[in-house]
Amino acid sequence: MNRYLLILVPMLVLTGCASQNSVITEGDSQVHVRQMQTRVYESLDKSETLRSVLATLQDLGFVIDTADYEMATITATRLQEYELRVTVTVKDRNSHQLAVRANARVDDQLIDDPATYQDFFTVLDKSIFLTRHNVD
Amino acid sequence: MRMPVVNFASRRPLVVPALLVISGLMSSCGTTQPEYFSPSQSSVAARKMQARVYFSVEEADVMSAAAAVLQDMGYTIDEVELPLGVISASKRANATSRMQAFGSLTLDSMKCAFTFLIACDGERYGGIDDVQDIRLTLVSMPKGDGDVTVRVTIQRRIYDKRGRLSEQSTISDADVYESLFAKLSKSVFLERQGI
Repeated sequence: MNRYLLILVPMLVLTGCASQNSVITEGDSQVHVRQMQTRVYESLDKSETLRSVLATLQDLGFVIDTADYEMATITATRLQEYELRVTVTVKDRNSHQLAVRANARVDDQLIDDPATYQDFFTVLDKSIFLTRHNVD
Repeated sequence: MRMPVVNFASRRPLVVPALLVISGLMSSCGTTQPEYFSPSQSSVAARKMQARVYFSVEEADVMSAAAAVLQDMGYTIDEVELPLGVISASKRANATSRMQAFGSLTLDSMKCAFTFLIACDGERYGGIDDVQDIRLTLVSMPKGDGDVTVRVTIQRRIYDKRGRLSEQSTISDADVYESLFAKLSKSVFLERQGI
C-alpha cells in the first residue's frame, strides 16, 4: 500500500505542476490557429476596416476595452452568463490586401472551434459592406 | 425459417445498462459549441436603441461632448482613441435595493427567531446586491455627409455584500440609453456654445 502511495503522490504532484504551467503557452499548431482566426480582405483602408470591426463588436454586444489605431488592435468584452473576450488585429498583407485576425476566450477557455470564427467573419463581412456603403 | 430474436435484457442483464452508458458517453462527446458570434434576431432593434445620429457636427466635437457627459455622470475614462472614435469609461456605483434588503432582513430575522437564535447567520442579507461595476463604450462613426452616428454599449457586474459576483449582463433597458443620449445631445449643444 505504502509503495503505491510513494508512486501515486509524486505523480499527482507532477501532473498538477504540468497543467498549471502548460496553459501559459498553450495552443494548437501556430499555422492552424492563424488560418482559423484570419480572413483576408481586398482592401487597403485600415481605418475603414477597424471601424467596421468596432461596429461588428457593438452589434454583437461587446464593450471595447482598448482600441489602438497605430497598432490596429481592438480588444473587447461581452458579459453574459459567461465572459467573452476577443482581440482583433488588422495587418497589411501585401500591396492590396489586409488581414483581419480575431482570437477569443470564453471564461478560462480559449475558443478553438473554426465555426465560431467563421461566424465572426460573417458578421464582419456584412459590417464592412455597410461601412463602405455608408449605411447605418 | 424463424429469425433469431436477440433478447439482451433476459440473456445478459448487464448489456442494456452498458449500452445506455456508452450511448450516454457518446452523446455527451457531441456537445455543440454555443454560437458566440451569431448576431441575435433583435440586433436591429438593439442598434436602434443604442445609436443616435448627430447632424452637421465634427466627429471630434461629438467625442469631446461625450467625454464631458461621461464625466458629468461620474465615469472615469479608461480608453480614448480619437482616430477610431472610441471612448470607454467605467464607474463603481451602489446596487442596493431597499426592497431586496428589507425582504432579506425579514427572512433572516424569522429564521433566527424560529431556530431559537441558532441560525442567525444573516445568510440572505449577505446575498443581496451591494455594488455594481458599470462599463460602457461610445463609438462615433462619421457618415460622410457631415453627420455622425454615435453608438453606445453598456455592461455591468453586480456584487453582493459578501463580494461574490451575483450578476453580469449587457444593459438592454431602452430608458437607460434614452437618458444617456438626452444628456449627450445637451452636451453637444453646450460644446457648440463653448460652455
